[in-house]
Amino acid sequence: MSAAPDIDGVRLAVVTNRLQSIVRSMMNTVLRTGRSGVLNSARDFSCCIITRRDELLAAADSLPIHVMSGPDLVARAMRELHDDIAPGDAFLHNSPYLGNSHAADHSFLVPVFDDQGAHRFTVLVKAHQADCGNSVPTTYMATATDVYEEGALIFPCVRVQREYRDIADILRMCEVRIRVPDQWRGDYLAAVGAARIGERKLRELAADIGWDTLDELAEQWFDYSERRMRAAIGRLGGGVIEVTSHHDAFPGLPEGLDLRIRVSVEAAEEMIEVDLRDNPDCQPCGLNLTESTSRTAAMVGVFNGLHDDIPLNSGAFRRLRILLRENCVVGIPRHPASCSVATTNVADRVACGVQRALAELSEGAGQAEVGYVIPPADGVISGHDERGPFVNQIFLGIGGGAGSPHADGWFTAAHVGNAGLTLLDSVEMDEARFPIRVHTRALLPDSEGAGEHRGAPGALVEFGPVGGPMTLMYAQDGYETPALGARGGMAGGLARVWKVGADGTRTALGPIDQLWLDDGERVRCHTCGGGGYGPPSARDPERVAHDVREGWISADRARGVYGVALDVDGRVDEVATKALRAGLEEGC
Amino acid sequence: MQTATKHAGATRLAVDTGGTFTDLVVERPDADVRLYKRPTTPANPIDGVLNVLAAAAADLGVPLAHLLDGSELIYATTHAINAVLTGSTARTAFLVTRGHRDMLVFREGGRDKPFDHRRQFPDPYVPRALTFEVPERIGAQGEVVEPLDEDAVRKVCATLREEGVEAVAVCLLWSIVEPKHELRVAELLTEELPGVPVTLGHRLNPSLREYRRAASAVIDASLKPLMTRHIEELERRLREAGLRGPLPVVTSSGGLVHAGTIATAPIHVINSGPSMAPLAGRSYAAAGAGDETVIVMDTGGTSFDVSLVRRGEIPFTRESWIGEPYIGVLTGFPSVDVRSIGAGGGSVARVDDYGLLHVGPQSAGAVPGPVCYGRGGTAPTVTDASLVLGHIDPAYFLGGEMELDRDAAAAAIERDIARPLDLTVEQAAMAIRNVATQRMVDAIEEITIHQGIDPQRAVLAGGGGAAGLNAVSIGRRLRCERVLIPDVVAALSASGALLSDMAFDARTADWRTTADFDADTVNRLLDTLEARCGAFVDETPGVVSSRVDLFAEARYARQIWELEVHLPVRRFASRADVDALRSRFDALHQEVFGVADADSEVELLGWRAAARCKVGSDVLPRVAPTGSPIQPVRRRWATFEEIGTVAAAVWDARGLRVGERHEGPGIVETPDTSVVIDAGATFELNERGSLVIDPHGTETRQPR
Repeated sequence: MSAAPDIDGVRLAVVTNRLQSIVRSMMNTVLRTGRSGVLNSARDFSCCIITRRDELLAAADSLPIHVMSGPDLVARAMRELHDDIAPGDAFLHNSPYLGNSHAADHSFLVPVFDDQGAHRFTVLVKAHQADCGNSVPTTYMATATDVYEEGALIFPCVRVQREYRDIADILRMCEVRIRVPDQWRGDYLAAVGAARIGERKLRELAADIGWDTLDELAEQWFDYSERRMRAAIGRLGGGVIEVTSHHDAFPGLPEGLDLRIRVSVEAAEEMIEVDLRDNPDCQPCGLNLTESTSRTAAMVGVFNGLHDDIPLNSGAFRRLRILLRENCVVGIPRHPASCSVATTNVADRVACGVQRALAELSEGAGQAEVGYVIPPADGVISGHDERGPFVNQIFLGIGGGAGSPHADGWFTAAHVGNAGLTLLDSVEMDEARFPIRVHTRALLPDSEGAGEHRGAPGALVEFGPVGGPMTLMYAQDGYETPALGARGGMAGGLARVWKVGADGTRTALGPIDQLWLDDGERVRCHTCGGGGYGPPSARDPERVAHDVREGWISADRARGVYGVALDVDGRVDEVATKALRAGLEEGC
Repeated sequence: MQTATKHAGATRLAVDTGGTFTDLVVERPDADVRLYKRPTTPANPIDGVLNVLAAAAADLGVPLAHLLDGSELIYATTHAINAVLTGSTARTAFLVTRGHRDMLVFREGGRDKPFDHRRQFPDPYVPRALTFEVPERIGAQGEVVEPLDEDAVRKVCATLREEGVEAVAVCLLWSIVEPKHELRVAELLTEELPGVPVTLGHRLNPSLREYRRAASAVIDASLKPLMTRHIEELERRLREAGLRGPLPVVTSSGGLVHAGTIATAPIHVINSGPSMAPLAGRSYAAAGAGDETVIVMDTGGTSFDVSLVRRGEIPFTRESWIGEPYIGVLTGFPSVDVRSIGAGGGSVARVDDYGLLHVGPQSAGAVPGPVCYGRGGTAPTVTDASLVLGHIDPAYFLGGEMELDRDAAAAAIERDIARPLDLTVEQAAMAIRNVATQRMVDAIEEITIHQGIDPQRAVLAGGGGAAGLNAVSIGRRLRCERVLIPDVVAALSASGALLSDMAFDARTADWRTTADFDADTVNRLLDTLEARCGAFVDETPGVVSSRVDLFAEARYARQIWELEVHLPVRRFASRADVDALRSRFDALHQEVFGVADADSEVELLGWRAAARCKVGSDVLPRVAPTGSPIQPVRRRWATFEEIGTVAAAVWDARGLRVGERHEGPGIVETPDTSVVIDAGATFELNERGSLVIDPHGTETRQPR
């Protein structure tokens, strides 16, 4: 054992536990008091603590795409834009050009001060909104040619509280431009309330141990995390690989988008570099990434590929070099490019590309690709009923998780950027809150990416309005290009969308739509399955038999794809399996 | 203040079968309380129950039949939860509305540890192969969207027969609003599969959110055959041994029910044991002072359970997991809110390759146990650290029943902790204790902040064999005014069982808002609920007193997580009554979440009537001193925070006099636990035999 006594391993253990505990208390407040389903059902928000030097210190249970890079950038923006920050301030920040993830994520920043009035830390609550004032009722406007057409209210780190009191002018602006204003107002209370809890608990911690000691321990925590990261990278071996990925054709992107992702593992230096610069300029659509999500997507791919329990903070991130360029679709956007969909579609392509690259570089590393989004089952619904207007993102069923070197894909992975941390809606709760009916929500057999560790299957979801019309907006990638497998694993099933008429006739729909559904009509969709890891012929035949028994895969698929023969009772026929697998290998 | 037992006159026995020990508390009229412990017998836990009863009879010098004759026996059991954890429940089928077969697979999504891709996705509680779709659909308003296809149900029944299914759970969408399809399915099941137990979601757990209802239903159904047999055997063997009085069983919601009720809904006993600790903590803390909030902690070998009692009320949760959150099983069923983390005497300490100390959540368990047990454990644990620090007397562990190996513990700490961290063995042991203490403090802080409670205004009550080792340190870090260690510390849950009431809850789902409040309808619902409670009270024998409390589940418009509000009135006569309910909700929301929203409508989701029949005492008599002769005050070398190693006073708890004040550093030894009194802390024994500790002492106390 190589001791590293330059850290105080005892105090560090105590204080880092406390910091994570503070973040969890903030998270709990948002979940329990939020008004929109996005917050209180789906848990689509994050909380974290940032140092005064804008380093991410603690982010327990937060969504990766929200926090790995972004909090650092917005905290810096707060300091640089305001030379008069003071106790009692709170800032609302959602500018895609100043470090936020996308306009629909409202970041609330509260600077935390010591008793002498010196800024010590910043606490942040970042919450996806049910609506952000876009020109159409969705928080993911893929068709927006620029920020003007997108129409979101943009707050470049604007003060919303001074001396712990609301600056009502700003709130009134939101209330005239954000759909269902009382819902937004309730979510605002939840987010600011959580940030204030974080502020108070952090000050209590400092009262116990002193601000300077806290700074010193934060620095030790970064050093410790960096060391862990070095070791994990060292285990990968070195190498350089370039992978390509393709986002499907969308309006404003008629050929789709080809991405080149270059990943270098520098074993000697114990650094990983991801170069995203050799990619197209910003596009006239809402799919451009922000600086925050470009960086974070690459980082998510790396962390998904390391399979080590490394603390998530700026210390670990010191071993990552993410190369971006300005005015690039996966880089640093220039005003007025639209970044409305910056947290999901193209970001998922980058993250999945990186983890697949690591899988191909090093055995036991990386992962296959996670199912792509945003399906109608996860779309934004809006309309009116006798209770008034409604708008919200629903979470009925999303993409399947990817096979990894150690396990099968996670069934409720959602998408790669949130790692399955978001929750799924209750059918009854959705039907109670909105005038909709969910006819089917089930997993889709034979849609898994086959592999030694298979991907998770996609979902089959069918729903529609009840008693009146409804608008549904979605933006489904993975319609032509599936979630790919890695190291011989196969791709997951493709996404599909149909409109089901009142008479039951099905009409195939495209990957993106602002869909009007009348009473009695429904939308039916397949979500993407996750890719598999390793060749299907290497899968444990007993696991294949289990999957057949449970109905995840058919007996035909077990035979044809996995080379596993089952007897009439569903048990593995070992002799026939051996022969089938020998045949599969010859076929290769 | 009540100090004497108000007693029905019978001997009352409470048995708690835990993972390691089966505890028995004996309360006799006009006598002291006695505690007994015998190993749990996993192969058939009822053997352990009879063993501990026999031990008590022997100690009291009476035949077992004599002890049992005329006694009431209260039973708390981990049998149900163990069956769930080990997968030894019945072969259970699940019937669900067509289109929703994967309800148990999807669950509610979610996970923690976003980058841990080593874990397999948890299998559904009932395999998909035994999940069947029923063609039918009820809408959100209770309307029939698609009629029930009875032929299809009969076909499913035929398959269930072929599959040898032993229990069936049914959860149809919106059955809480319109149950007729679910009821008809139950009739068909009874016709086609006579004798196979059935659980209906709407009956067992009438609450919105289909997955939670389904989860409760499948767990309940899967336990029915096993728990029916278990309770029948328990009752038969106890009757044979001479028990003639009642045999109530402890439920997850902290009340008692008749043993026979368990067979109809065994999910009620899932958290049987842990739900009792808060009751005991409440009773003992209340006798010490009129404090509003009691934090009750129960420290065992592998887990640390914490719960809160606010203004005498025990908080409930519907988010009770068996096992780890997101990986384990959500019960979906109301349960006393007990938070559990993997920390205890057996928690293993290690230093990682990069110099960070970790304590838990891995545990050495009972086998091999801590290094000092000498049963093959090699990894240093919290117990080993306490031994090295002098907090545990190696010759006096479990009242001297077990000799501990201090040298082996010290060597393990030296090798695994002290050397890598460049510390002395004592410093390393203190570091282990320190990190374990902080994890417990964090768990308490999270649960208190989630409930909007300031720990500084709370009493910390400790239970469990390892509680005393760091209770004072925990109380110091939380700035609690007082730490309390009752004399029943080692059998806190079983003692709580003696203090609990016969309980019955009637609930109904009913969606409305304070704006469109229909008093007549609500009053009728309350009439029905209260009538059901009244029937329960009438049927319960030996009731000393009874009461029925009424509650509403409420939230602001568009929120989805409810708070339960105690109704300010029995019935709603006027708008003012509705307003009173509303302001009570505002106040509670303010207290718990720090904000209230007077502009928002309040939604009401359902009503609950809770009947509680007092059948026992409010207060237990003191525990009888047992074991070896009482020792005079001694000194031994022990290590404390801040002051280091000193020749510290060691008090035998049985020799302390009521009201006499002592000051730490020192250690109070009871036959079951050691209580570490940090330097500067003061303590005294109160009339009920509890150690009342001021963790800050006179010098550091904050003026109030």
